[in-house]
Amino acid sequence: MATAVTLRNPATVVPKTAASTTEGPLVRWLLTGIAVLFLGIFLFLPLVVVFSSALAKGFTVYVASLSEPDAWAAIRLTLWAAAIAVPANVIFGVAAAWAIGKFDFFGKSVLITLIDLPFAVSPVVSGLIYVLLFGLQGFLGPWLAAHDIKIIFAVPGIVLATIFVTFPFVARELIPLIQAQGNEEEEAALTLGASGWQTFFRVTLPNIKWGLLYGVILCNARAMGEFGAVSVVSGHIRGRTNTMPLHIEILYNEYQFVPAFAVASLLALLALLTLFVKSAIEWRSKQQLAELEAATAGEGPA
Amino acid sequence: MIEALGITKRFGQFAALSNVDLTIPSGELVALLGPSGSGKTTLLRIIAGLEFADSGTVRFDGSDITDQTARERRVGFVFQHYALFRHMTVFENIAFGLKVRPRKLRPAKREIDRKVKELLSLIQLENLAHRYPSQLSGGQRQRVALARALAVEPSVLLLDEPFGALDAKVRLELRRWLRQLHDEIHITSVFVTHDQEEALEVADRVVVMNHGRIEQVGSPDEVYHHPATPFVYGFLGSVNLFHGRIDEGQTYLHDVAVQGMAPFANGATTVYVRPHWLEIRRQPNDRSHFRATIKHINSAGPLVKVEAVSEWGSPVHIEMSQERFRDLQLTHNEAVFVTPKEVKVFDGESAD
Repeated sequence: MATAVTLRNPATVVPKTAASTTEGPLVRWLLTGIAVLFLGIFLFLPLVVVFSSALAKGFTVYVASLSEPDAWAAIRLTLWAAAIAVPANVIFGVAAAWAIGKFDFFGKSVLITLIDLPFAVSPVVSGLIYVLLFGLQGFLGPWLAAHDIKIIFAVPGIVLATIFVTFPFVARELIPLIQAQGNEEEEAALTLGASGWQTFFRVTLPNIKWGLLYGVILCNARAMGEFGAVSVVSGHIRGRTNTMPLHIEILYNEYQFVPAFAVASLLALLALLTLFVKSAIEWRSKQQLAELEAATAGEGPA
Repeated sequence: MIEALGITKRFGQFAALSNVDLTIPSGELVALLGPSGSGKTTLLRIIAGLEFADSGTVRFDGSDITDQTARERRVGFVFQHYALFRHMTVFENIAFGLKVRPRKLRPAKREIDRKVKELLSLIQLENLAHRYPSQLSGGQRQRVALARALAVEPSVLLLDEPFGALDAKVRLELRRWLRQLHDEIHITSVFVTHDQEEALEVADRVVVMNHGRIEQVGSPDEVYHHPATPFVYGFLGSVNLFHGRIDEGQTYLHDVAVQGMAPFANGATTVYVRPHWLEIRRQPNDRSHFRATIKHINSAGPLVKVEAVSEWGSPVHIEMSQERFRDLQLTHNEAVFVTPKEVKVFDGESAD
């Protein structure tokens, strides 16, 4: 094969910043300062307040606030709702993205619009839809009542509302990815004798795993933090149909600031954890890409 | 033997293939040659079972497989952009077709290892077995794609523009390698290309396609020297078009009588002349010439390419050997005489 000279370190050739595009020091400091100040006031300070208020009366009170039965029930319910909503939306999201990304069919654009609906509609309206559908005076209410099935003001309603508002996350993350990857690898698998499931698990899924994980994390964060839609369908029954965000609101309205902030700090921790995992995933896939590129560049064309 | 009979395929309003009949004998290496949009890739994909014809029949060795999926047909398919599984190593890519077989038909792990190693040595990439596709060059990827297709021991090998995404030098190497490989393993193979040079060099038989129809099927010699249609003549090499006429078997290029008989009806026609069949002279040559003015000379390469303007004001493309060019000492804007030494006319074609 032909030998070629590879430029190993292009960075040494191109200067990092061209002088003509650099602002004076004053402007730079001013702009950076404004950005830092803004971030501090609107993002960092609230985070500090959440944790400091939660720990205002000491760690023992903090732990007591969380282990109080109603708080504990709210935490459990939130985890349950997320544990059902996230897998449901993973299955739906992968199926929808697969269908939309790989095939052309009638009504495809309508389906894409429908998937986006939960993003476009106010969460309160999403909740109301379920009340109108499954509530006692609702469309299916009498039938449900006759069969002794409770959805509204009960756990199923909360799960349904959570699924609805977190509906787009996985699908939205995967559709562009699958579309960009095209059909060829799947066609290759098919001609090599792989069945549909083999093609999916051995070819498609490995190719979308990072995007899928990213979608799952966003979906989970939203599922645990959802307030509006869940608030409408829950009925706020303490210890039974209160999720963490609803519980925080109730505590806050009753001037129980330390317990309120204690539960809130859990949600904030979850958010931080989400961001951390998200960055780690981004870093991981970027590094993988860089490794591959480095390996290819070092070898030279053959 | 592959038979595709009466194949018609439409994409919306666009007729990709109109009633195409093609028979490919066992063991041959056949090129489907045509411009983009000629339906060649669609025909290949229909043979593979990746696309289904609106009407028509596909047979492998006499048995009707029209309704079989790509999975059932057991064809080896090589994609233009390789379509290697990017998260698998070279080894895993090649082993894929064997590993996905149902348990009863799946070879033992040792057998798979042996088979993959054999294929790796066939494509001369033994030491890259544990690389990922992104760590390979284009030519290496294409060879891995070929090995992967061959691993399942397909009855036919189908290649879609196999060298289309490679640079010129690698292309040349790889197509010669493909020809050698075919001489070794004799698997019935069909490849799609828009490069006439590639088709003429590599294939046993060339199928020239245009607008969803087959224009001509024949050996490279046949299609090049005896083109059945003006399209084939034009597609297989550069060509000059002139107004002309046929009078009592004599062909005229404008008013210039040219050699060769044309046993066609009298009337206006289009005269086709390859650039290397036009000879430039300083002196007139009876009546068999026309006048032209040299406009541009490109002497880089094995042949010297001369752009001239004919006495009728149309551009003429002429090619000559370096030797002849040195003898002539042509200069820009020089007036010369051009003699058509061989021309091609087609029956029933009136000049436009």
